[in-house]
Amino acid sequence: MERIFGIDLGTTNSLIAYADDDSLRVIPDPDTQAALLPSVVAFPGVGEPIVGARAKAKAAECPLTTIASVKRFMGLGMEHVTPADREQYVFADDASPEIVRFRIHDRTYTPPEISALILKELKRRAESVLGEAVRHVVITVPAYFNDSQRQATRDAGRLAGLEVLRLVNEPTAASLAYGLHKQNQGLIAVYDLGGGTFDISILKLHEGIFEVLATNGDTRLGGDDFDRRVAALLLAEVPVPLRSNPDVRSQAIAAAEAAKIQLTKTDATVMELRAGTVRVQRPLTRAEFESTIADVVERTIAPCRQALKDAGVSPRDLDEVVLVGGSTRVPLVRRRVEEFFGRTPHTELNPEEVVALGAAVQAGVLSGRKKDTLLLDVVPLSLGIETMGGVMARLIERNTTIPVTAKQVFTTFADNQTVVDFHVLQGERELARDNRSLARFKLRGIEPQPAGLPRVEVTFMIDANGILNVTARDERTGREQSIDVKPSYGLTDTEIERMLEESIDYAEEDVTARLLIEARNDGEALLQATRRALDRTAPDAAERADIEAAMARLADALRDTDHNRIRDLTDALNRVTTPLAQRIMDASIKDALERKRVEEVL
Amino acid sequence: MGSIPTPAAEREGAMWSASERIICWQCGAEHAPGPFCPACDAIQPLPDQADYFQVLGVRRRLLLDTTALQKRYYELHRRLHPDLFQTGPQQARQASVRNTAAVNRAYRTLRDPIDRGLYWLTLQGESLGAGNKQVPPDLAALVFELQEHLEELRAARQGNGAVHLVEELTAAHAELIERQNALLEQLEQNFARWDAGGAAPELLTRELKGILSALAYLGTLIRDVEKGLET
Repeated sequence: MERIFGIDLGTTNSLIAYADDDSLRVIPDPDTQAALLPSVVAFPGVGEPIVGARAKAKAAECPLTTIASVKRFMGLGMEHVTPADREQYVFADDASPEIVRFRIHDRTYTPPEISALILKELKRRAESVLGEAVRHVVITVPAYFNDSQRQATRDAGRLAGLEVLRLVNEPTAASLAYGLHKQNQGLIAVYDLGGGTFDISILKLHEGIFEVLATNGDTRLGGDDFDRRVAALLLAEVPVPLRSNPDVRSQAIAAAEAAKIQLTKTDATVMELRAGTVRVQRPLTRAEFESTIADVVERTIAPCRQALKDAGVSPRDLDEVVLVGGSTRVPLVRRRVEEFFGRTPHTELNPEEVVALGAAVQAGVLSGRKKDTLLLDVVPLSLGIETMGGVMARLIERNTTIPVTAKQVFTTFADNQTVVDFHVLQGERELARDNRSLARFKLRGIEPQPAGLPRVEVTFMIDANGILNVTARDERTGREQSIDVKPSYGLTDTEIERMLEESIDYAEEDVTARLLIEARNDGEALLQATRRALDRTAPDAAERADIEAAMARLADALRDTDHNRIRDLTDALNRVTTPLAQRIMDASIKDALERKRVEEVL
Repeated sequence: MGSIPTPAAEREGAMWSASERIICWQCGAEHAPGPFCPACDAIQPLPDQADYFQVLGVRRRLLLDTTALQKRYYELHRRLHPDLFQTGPQQARQASVRNTAAVNRAYRTLRDPIDRGLYWLTLQGESLGAGNKQVPPDLAALVFELQEHLEELRAARQGNGAVHLVEELTAAHAELIERQNALLEQLEQNFARWDAGGAAPELLTRELKGILSALAYLGTLIRDVEKGLET
């Protein structure tokens, strides 16, 4: 069986990892060696979207065509978009309201499409490092993600040409990595504060079985909120008319993030940004930083309390507390967690990598390589259907171990009713309207009978991914109606098919074929650039002869299909043209500087 | 899978009636219901009508050792969980999901004495029913007093004077928990009489119903008080 990879598709950063015999490995970027891929996608207008660090660097320059933190919008409809969101993103309000759509240049993108670009980049990274195809993956999701958000994540995988074998809850994944690391037994709490989401999970470890007892959280709470708070302090120093300028805002966010990181090590820092001709500075001490974010940190405590209650344990029953997610590097977070649980939390593993490593463990379990570990996870939020009076009838309670099925019999309200409308809901509130709508469907063909006589058996089945499947059966006819469960929020199958058709690099992808295409593109580009350079400059005869010989060899290789040879000869041409490129570069910088001086004079 | 010994519970007879047979989807062998085919070791879907005791492969007794039950639950997961069949044939994957779902449901129900009692009632063709909401007589006075206190507490939140009420409610909460424990003990005694046999099932059912009604009522009350104290 092919290797299965583990992917942490994070709000701020994403990673890909795999299990190799005895060790777990995160696959770094082959060029920069960075393990984290910033979850940022930039759309330059012409050419392919840019993903990762280069896109993040573009955020300040073109904030409205650069999408960061797309995970916050997975599985949501336009009604969930807040005014604060509108300051950072441009939405397509004229399109269907069931799914968030961003407007970028002349087209719209859904969150799964943008997440798919991040996944594709991770796939490409792993394939070029390991030289093998990446098809099967385990992707992590916040434990508190509801069904729509999980479906959206699966859709993203499908759009990236990946087969998502399993969605694993992030804190659970982290516990897998920790458990293997320490061979633990006992009760552990995993406190996972990422860029955009917060999860708390209570687990029982027993001879390789990781049993989740309870989970809770907030899918819109994370380190991004710290940044926004701190950025507001800096923006307060900016002249009022410039404050809503997207470029200024995104500079402020970047400065806030940098200050947050700096303040994990030092007691004071200075934030800085440039608004037009004005340079704005704002000093920030750790004490002020902490008082600015204190209530955000405090919002994580109520879910912790509820999770402990649901698990039926008190803080002193816990054997360990584990910190996960980049935001747990913030000293205030650590102190608050330590205070609440009454013990020093564990931080041995890199909090940013531990989720991806855990996903790799689960990938190993699914591939049959790892036989001594088993994960028993739970559904985070109760599931049910709307009944008369707008009340939610719960079929599956939160924190039920999955997979699980539940059945309940319902009947008709009116005489001779032949159709029953079902509204599938998820959440903890009593009234249907206060819970999350997952799907609506109709069961037709019920025999006309007096009200209350027909018996319709509804079955909820939650699979090992925490994804719900609903069937309804008329007991009298014994017929199981075929039901079209249309997700209230999300992409329809037809939409996904269309997106897949539109995407060029989908289909049975052959890694070699793609490596060849990439090598050819790079080779062609360099040949063209060199030709232009030779026209514009006048190298001496010897240099020109060297370059032309290298060009001829590369041109020859380009007619063939050996991507390694193309790469080698591209590198060779690159080397002989470096002095030439350097001279052109110097000239253009000089040119630019001269022009700048002219502008200043004007 | 073959190397894992079959737990003792599965060998105990009388779990399934002799007429109950399953045809293995893989090798076609006919066998008694059980998680694996005795001939080829393929995972088998449990029959639809399997009750929770059969699903977990434990004897049909109401007094259960929950530690042993948990051990059994883990053992079953180690053999049945869908993660172990990810690379297997479609039928095995489906059987695994189906059986694991049944095991989870059964364990969640049987591990808790109240849920176990309620489930036992349904096996007797009975249920607490929605109409059974009247206040148990010996609780009436306490319930009346508590509702009053909760009302007062809600009103007092705006001003002062809540401290005194909180103290009273906390004391009442303790009393409710005490009553709950006493009822749980009665429940255990009822379970023991079912297990011993001999007593008239109608009598035991009526008693069980009474205890479970009172427990359901107390449960709601305790939740109300806890909610009142929290906010």
